[in-house]
Amino acid sequence: MVTVTINVNGEKRTASVPPETTLLRLLRDDFNLTGSKLGCDVGDCGACTVIVDGKAVNSCLMLAAQADGRDVLTIEGLATMDRLHPIQKAFEKYASLQCGFCGPGVIMSAKALLDENPDPTVQEIRDALGGNLCRCTGYVKMIEAIQDAARILRDEPVEINR
Amino acid sequence: MKRRGRGMACMWYPIGFTVSANPSAAVVKIDEDGTATLLTGTVETGQGSLTVLAQIVAQELGIATDDVQVVSADTDATPMDTGAIASRTTYVTGNAARLAAEKAKEILFEVAAPMLGVKADQLEAKDHKIVVKGYPQRNVHIGDVASHARVVMGQPPIGSASFNPATVPLDPETGQGKPFGTYVYATQIAEVDVDDETGEVEVIRIVASHDCGTPINPMLVEGQVEGGISMGVGFALEEEILFDSQGRQINPNLTNYIIPTSLDMPEVEVDIVDNYDPTGPFGAKGVGEPTLVPTAAAIVNAIYNAVGVRITSLPATAEKVFAAIQAKRDAQPKQITA
Ligand code: FES
Ligand code: FES
Repeated sequence: MVTVTINVNGEKRTASVPPETTLLRLLRDDFNLTGSKLGCDVGDCGACTVIVDGKAVNSCLMLAAQADGRDVLTIEGLATMDRLHPIQKAFEKYASLQCGFCGPGVIMSAKALLDENPDPTVQEIRDALGGNLCRCTGYVKMIEAIQDAARILRDEPVEINR
Repeated sequence: MKRRGRGMACMWYPIGFTVSANPSAAVVKIDEDGTATLLTGTVETGQGSLTVLAQIVAQELGIATDDVQVVSADTDATPMDTGAIASRTTYVTGNAARLAAEKAKEILFEVAAPMLGVKADQLEAKDHKIVVKGYPQRNVHIGDVASHARVVMGQPPIGSASFNPATVPLDPETGQGKPFGTYVYATQIAEVDVDDETGEVEVIRIVASHDCGTPINPMLVEGQVEGGISMGVGFALEEEILFDSQGRQINPNLTNYIIPTSLDMPEVEVDIVDNYDPTGPFGAKGVGEPTLVPTAAAIVNAIYNAVGVRITSLPATAEKVFAAIQAKRDAQPKQITA
């Protein structure tokens, strides 16, 4: 067993897990943070995307022990009880998700992108979502929502087009 | 060298099968605060069908969509539904929900008529009120009518209904008949770049023009079309289930069963052709499955337009397109240099 302590969504949490445990399993099974989804467990789908020290990673490809001592942000860390994060608000406004399974991963990829690049081009958004598979939506309304959220986060007036 | 081409494909698609029973049922009850509850057996899978059903009930009752609470997909508590399948929910379940709301509304009209001193057929439901047609100032709030219906008249405003697109057996000899309640139509145009040295196809843009009757929620219609196009792009260029000689799938995961990513998706332009179908709820038909029907055909037509080769099996992988370009070159008479 290895003892892992991570700073998850601003809170220090510790668990003792078998060494082969992935960060995704640690989050879901030990910390009960089930927002990050297990789609493929081999790095193909992006449903498990979380942010580790500012970078979007597939948490199914990272060992829990590798995350020891690091800052991890999951979808649960974005919203408060009464306020959605601007990216989540924009996804709601544009009906960007359908079944929603890809959603937590897509939104975390978008968050990592906007933290690093507050004014991305459509191509940069497509690149950032390149590792997040979505079977339902064709990504079109996600891209629109991310552009809208970027404008809000930059504090620019948003054009009302809907 | 990259060669640009455009291709087009049209389709029709049937909505509401009639060859066997295809019912949906619904219950609508109107509560004393002027809101309503819809019970339906159908399932939301993300396409927004419960929103559309709430809109239909709200429209029938003259209240806001937010005032309709939908209880769905509980086989103990909700009425039977044939299923969230066959692009039938808006059309079949939507008709059932509208009819159930209409029946509940008829109770309100009967109760409101003496309250307003008119006949029931002189009333309409709008802006959260039961109103005398042509005299908007003569009205009672829908919640007050609902309360009066229960407390004074002893008749709570509850409507239940089912809808089954009339079952019509096909002629056993000719196979002909009327197999569906209605049909939708669409045209999609694809613009592609084909690299004639590698066979690689990139879809640049798809313009999709769809008839779905009245688009009850245009944003959700767009979502269905955009999603369908991504499936169509995968069908055209990437997706293929491969089997070994024992019939076992050899690509059963996302590493080698390739579906489109955000980088494979073309620019999409959705054009909703407003239409009205008298058999649908408020003129609506359906939109789910039809959205991906013309996509692959438009793309392979665009490949033909770009490089002059007909791809007749899907997916049109780079290898397949390149082999076809090679074969075409080989078949051409050799240029004799002077
Ligand atoms: S679950 Fe991690 S990439 Fe699919
Ligand atoms: S919304 Fe269903 S997979 Fe993305």
